[in-house]
Amino acid sequence: MKSSEIHQQVGKKLLRKEDVRFLTGHGKYIDDIQITNCWHAAFIRSPHAHAKINGIDASAALELDGVMGVYTGHDLVKLTTSLKMAPPIDGLKPVEMTTLPIDKVLFQGDLVACVIAKNRYLAEDAIDLIDVQYIPLSPVTSLAHAQEPNAPLVIEGLKTNLLSHQFNQTGDVDLCEKQAFKVIHSTFSQHRQTHLPMETRGCIAIWDEGSQHLNFHVGTQAPHPYRTQLANRLNLTESQVTIHSPDIGGAFGQKIVLYREELTVAALAKFLNHAIRWREDRLENLVGSSQAREDYCTTKVSVNAQGKILSLDFQILEDFGAYSFYPGNYLARVVAMILTGPYKIANYRYDVKVFLTNKVGNAPMRAPMSVTSWVMEGTMDAIARELGLDPVAVRKINLVSKEEMPYVMPTGEILSDVTPLETLDGALDAIDYAGFSARKKQSFERNKYRGIGICNVIESTTYGSAFYKAAGIPGSGHEAVWIRIEPTGVINASVGLGPSGQGYETAFSQVIAEGLGVAPSQIRILMGNSDIAPYGMGSRGARGGTAGGGAFFLCALQAHQKLMRIAAHLLNITRVEDLKMIDGVVHRLKDGDFAPTQISLRQLSQIAYFEPTRLPPNEMPGLEFHLTYDPPPMTYSNSTHICELEIDPSTGALTIDRYVVAEDCGTVLNPQIVEGQQHGAIAMGISGVLLEEVIYDTNGQNITGTLADYLIATCGDLPKIEILHMNTPNQKTPLGIKGMAEGGVMGAIGAVMNAANSALSDLNIQVNQQPLSPMYLRRLIRQAT
Amino acid sequence: MMHEKKVQFLINHQPYQVEIEPRKLLSDVIREDCFLTGTHVGCEHGVCGACTVIIDGKLARSCLIYGVQMAGREIETIESIGTSSKLSRFQQAMHEEHGLQCGFCTAGIVMTIEALLRETPQPTDLEIQDALSGNLCRCTGYQNILKAIQKAILPAAESI
Repeated sequence: MKSSEIHQQVGKKLLRKEDVRFLTGHGKYIDDIQITNCWHAAFIRSPHAHAKINGIDASAALELDGVMGVYTGHDLVKLTTSLKMAPPIDGLKPVEMTTLPIDKVLFQGDLVACVIAKNRYLAEDAIDLIDVQYIPLSPVTSLAHAQEPNAPLVIEGLKTNLLSHQFNQTGDVDLCEKQAFKVIHSTFSQHRQTHLPMETRGCIAIWDEGSQHLNFHVGTQAPHPYRTQLANRLNLTESQVTIHSPDIGGAFGQKIVLYREELTVAALAKFLNHAIRWREDRLENLVGSSQAREDYCTTKVSVNAQGKILSLDFQILEDFGAYSFYPGNYLARVVAMILTGPYKIANYRYDVKVFLTNKVGNAPMRAPMSVTSWVMEGTMDAIARELGLDPVAVRKINLVSKEEMPYVMPTGEILSDVTPLETLDGALDAIDYAGFSARKKQSFERNKYRGIGICNVIESTTYGSAFYKAAGIPGSGHEAVWIRIEPTGVINASVGLGPSGQGYETAFSQVIAEGLGVAPSQIRILMGNSDIAPYGMGSRGARGGTAGGGAFFLCALQAHQKLMRIAAHLLNITRVEDLKMIDGVVHRLKDGDFAPTQISLRQLSQIAYFEPTRLPPNEMPGLEFHLTYDPPPMTYSNSTHICELEIDPSTGALTIDRYVVAEDCGTVLNPQIVEGQQHGAIAMGISGVLLEEVIYDTNGQNITGTLADYLIATCGDLPKIEILHMNTPNQKTPLGIKGMAEGGVMGAIGAVMNAANSALSDLNIQVNQQPLSPMYLRRLIRQAT
Repeated sequence: MMHEKKVQFLINHQPYQVEIEPRKLLSDVIREDCFLTGTHVGCEHGVCGACTVIIDGKLARSCLIYGVQMAGREIETIESIGTSSKLSRFQQAMHEEHGLQCGFCTAGIVMTIEALLRETPQPTDLEIQDALSGNLCRCTGYQNILKAIQKAILPAAESI
């Protein structure tokens, strides 16, 4: 049954409340906020990948009319504290970074100093006049280089470039390998990418000397954790800082933590007692914000003759860049923890190593665990290839079935309410898997190689506090909301998430409307102001639906209960459970049906606020509700992606012919928004596999500093995405919500890579690295023929 | 600051007179001197299309033009297309088809497609793809934008 058939509001296609302001140019992004008499910051960035700073001469710049000051790492040390990244995690080395580098720069684009001027043009003029003396050092520019015994050290104090190392074993992998029919090795190399929100980073800092308070405007996915960091680093209390996060022009994981530029602007605004703003340009965004991915994985899988997996050995090496804005294990270890996904694997061993290099620091990017599904599904294809079996058959004998759930994964994670066999069958049917060999033959007659790639995805959407604890990641997984029914019966509500295009204002009004029995149009969702919103954990992963939506639904039920207690008192009845709000009017159960009473939400609100003497005994005046909710340790949704593509051997050109996804993301809040998220995630996955790549040359120079070099998909590069909706509610979350929005990236990477492999299988080529550029494919084809 | 020039032009039929440095980009002039912040700046090197405006009836990237070049010209920005209570046909189609998510690139896309539909009321798929390929969107995967464009195309008989 569809969500919309069980629920009144949830599951309905409701057009987005956000749209009109964006469509008419009335959105308010950071740069759209007008502040009179505001100075501008610009940053001097290192031209070297690795160098000592031997002196900074700003005298010529300071003479320029309109330049208010130039500030270096030495200045910022006096105004801010450093960031110590040292959570108590086994195998993770503690590191520390100052607000601006003092002695040494660690990547090309690293910060050196900050200019404050009356406008941005002048600030950039001043940069050209500042003379920085560097002593260049040898850079570390690749994973292989980082591991060499005599490699330069990114952070000398660590004595090594290995930042983090974790390993674990369940069962006995060595024994399985000895007894196996075959042991199969595979490798997977994922390249460096960057988030590329269309709106770059930026901020405005306004220090109020009178009230000793900082108003800080910044687009952030997590306003409250951000405030905690900013207050801490400025030696202010949390009540001295307000974060104002306006409309955000895309984030994708790039706008979570406090960056050094933002902290510098805040510190200088306070120090100079003057409003200061900063807008990152696209070059800075590409060479100096945050990057992601770049990992190298190997699997060793032992199997019996039928392709049943006996054991899996997994190794991942990640190139983390130079700076730890997150703990080093943050991204790669989650891949290891959820790798086995929907497959029954009892014996499992993983080894996770994270290395420092002279590149921009890594941050989680939409599907931080993006490589997971490709690694697992590429391994399934390798088994099929080595044993001469059908890839579908190999998957099916290893997939966990409905009857076997809840299934405890080898890392202790519990898989429940997922439907991998159902999505696989659905997608196979939709793409006409049986007809593939005939289509392959037809393509061959046109001198094209056709391939089909399957990728099953288990998407870890919502991390509860218990998961973080088990994974050794500091922090909580809970979310917080409040709902306030105003005296006229309209509703204000707020949550600690930071929206960046997910349509929360719409979907959450549907959730509250569902719980309260009112129309979504009566509800306004307030987000982004840290004084107004309750302290939440923000938007990360795909937690908005389950953590935020779940909290709102529970809070709405609480509000509904109070309203019905008041209504029961007014109607002089004892059975509160016989009352229910429908469309803003109290209804009463009579002969099995709910019939309207004379009491409306508006009347109840008036009484709650202005006639509290009419309330039931012990009932408090007002209609204000607050709730926090910590979701289960982990909530999963699942999907199967199948892609069919053609490769032209004469040019290496790859064309996706069909793309099908069957996705089970539980109860859907708004199907149109969910579909939009599916499109967006799959687009990012395909774009990453085919086009995007951050390239550092051997000197550590980032040679992809414009959008003409760092390519993302345009409208002609993407296939039409065919979606099959499946909706098995989660039994443990409010409304059965599972969450989604990252799995599309995971599935697209795996499906396209496996399809390319399938296409070139006749040439005995194995495609095991991204991106699939025509040059790379041509090289493989040339070598094989 | 020393070399400011007085420049007059029209934006959305309204006269503007600004004193600007010759090096100031039109995108900055529109946003900072004319206070029309609907036009967004995404790359400042002419690739992303977020800053697209219409100058004397032709599409242009406002980040690749200087404000001083606008003397006597007529500029149209997103603020002239539809209103909150009455969206244009294409804006309405974008709303109905969920053609936007974060909304940052949207102004540029609306300007691009409004200009396309004025010049080519019944564009072919290839013409649509050609027009939209100069606008980057990181959220939607373009599929719903393409649907919205199809929806906004008037049947041949109705467009004169």
